[in-house]
Amino acid sequence: MRASEDTLRALMISGLDGHAGDHSALLRALVPLLRGFYRRRMGDGDIDDLVQETLIAVHTRRGTYDRARPFTAWLFSIARYKMIDHFRRGRRLVPIEGLEEILITEGFEDAACARMDVEQLLEILPPKQARMIRATRIEGLSTAEAAEREDIGESDVKVSVHRGLKSLIVRIQGGGR
Amino acid sequence: MNTDDLIFRLSADLAPVRRHAVARRLAIGLAMGALVSIFYVVVMMGVRPDIGVAMHGFPFWMKWGYTVSLSAVAIVMTAQLARPDSGRLRWLWLMAIPVLLLASVGIMELIRTPPGDWLAMWLGDSWMVCPWRVLALAMPIFVGLLWSFRKLAPTRLRAAGAAAGLAAGAFAATVYCVHCPEVSAIFVLTWYSLGILLAASLGALLGPRLLRW
Repeated sequence: MRASEDTLRALMISGLDGHAGDHSALLRALVPLLRGFYRRRMGDGDIDDLVQETLIAVHTRRGTYDRARPFTAWLFSIARYKMIDHFRRGRRLVPIEGLEEILITEGFEDAACARMDVEQLLEILPPKQARMIRATRIEGLSTAEAAEREDIGESDVKVSVHRGLKSLIVRIQGGGR
Repeated sequence: MNTDDLIFRLSADLAPVRRHAVARRLAIGLAMGALVSIFYVVVMMGVRPDIGVAMHGFPFWMKWGYTVSLSAVAIVMTAQLARPDSGRLRWLWLMAIPVLLLASVGIMELIRTPPGDWLAMWLGDSWMVCPWRVLALAMPIFVGLLWSFRKLAPTRLRAAGAAAGLAAGAFAATVYCVHCPEVSAIFVLTWYSLGILLAASLGALLGPRLLRW
């Protein structure tokens, strides 16, 4: 079971406030996350060193985390930087055949992240609005089909979708970076 | 080393991190560097003798307005680039405001001055040394910011280096105003800006090497 953004962020903030227990809990929770991150991109090579190096960076540069912003975005920016730095240092050792695979997994990663982002965003909406948006915008049902499935009026569906999208837009423009 | 041992060691003696740690760290580096530059200007170059009178005039505040606002924008950009997830750079366009304002003052000057005097106004008495002095005074401030960056986490090293160089240059120009008696807007727009740009270019050049972590 992977730790969620909210859990990690709470641990991080508590660690910043000086609670050593939460800080080490955070670092321990990051190990599988980082292993997965690097393994998807680099295969099974020398991942452990990179994971440790990233843990050290997370620790020593923890002051650069802005408590108001998503923790995982901060974490993976560091992980990505460390990976690029790793490639740069051992430039000659990177087989060029690996490039395609890296690009493919990168694309997969982006798609997966985008889906997770959508799910995360929908979670902040009231369940009905989220359901309606999912039905009409993601599953591709028509308004009539969605109304029938939920056994509510078509205008109700339209209003829910409209309100939901509107608050998502507000959230993204105002609450994001 | 075993990962568990590493985590154990990292969590021992955990010091709390204050909010605004990035801003504080940058401010300390900047201030330490600026102290060296101020010391150099005051002791080695000398404060301009007429500073008391000059501070009641427009040109002095025009110059400070220009360099201080450039410093402010550059510092905000540096602080953004000091975080790993810096994202899109906001506020960059604000840099255009002081430049355009100073340029319009410069155009007014040119209109009021007979064309025969334009060259003398543009070159002043110190155009040959001004950019180099600004660049030299920027060095201690740049070093101070490099120190700040040792605990920060830039991921776009060239941009971060350029922003730090720009901030150092603009700050150095602010300090240099205390010495420099030039009064013309087109002088400042050309030669001060050139010095600041030199510092920013040097920062962009050195950033990828010096800011690695």
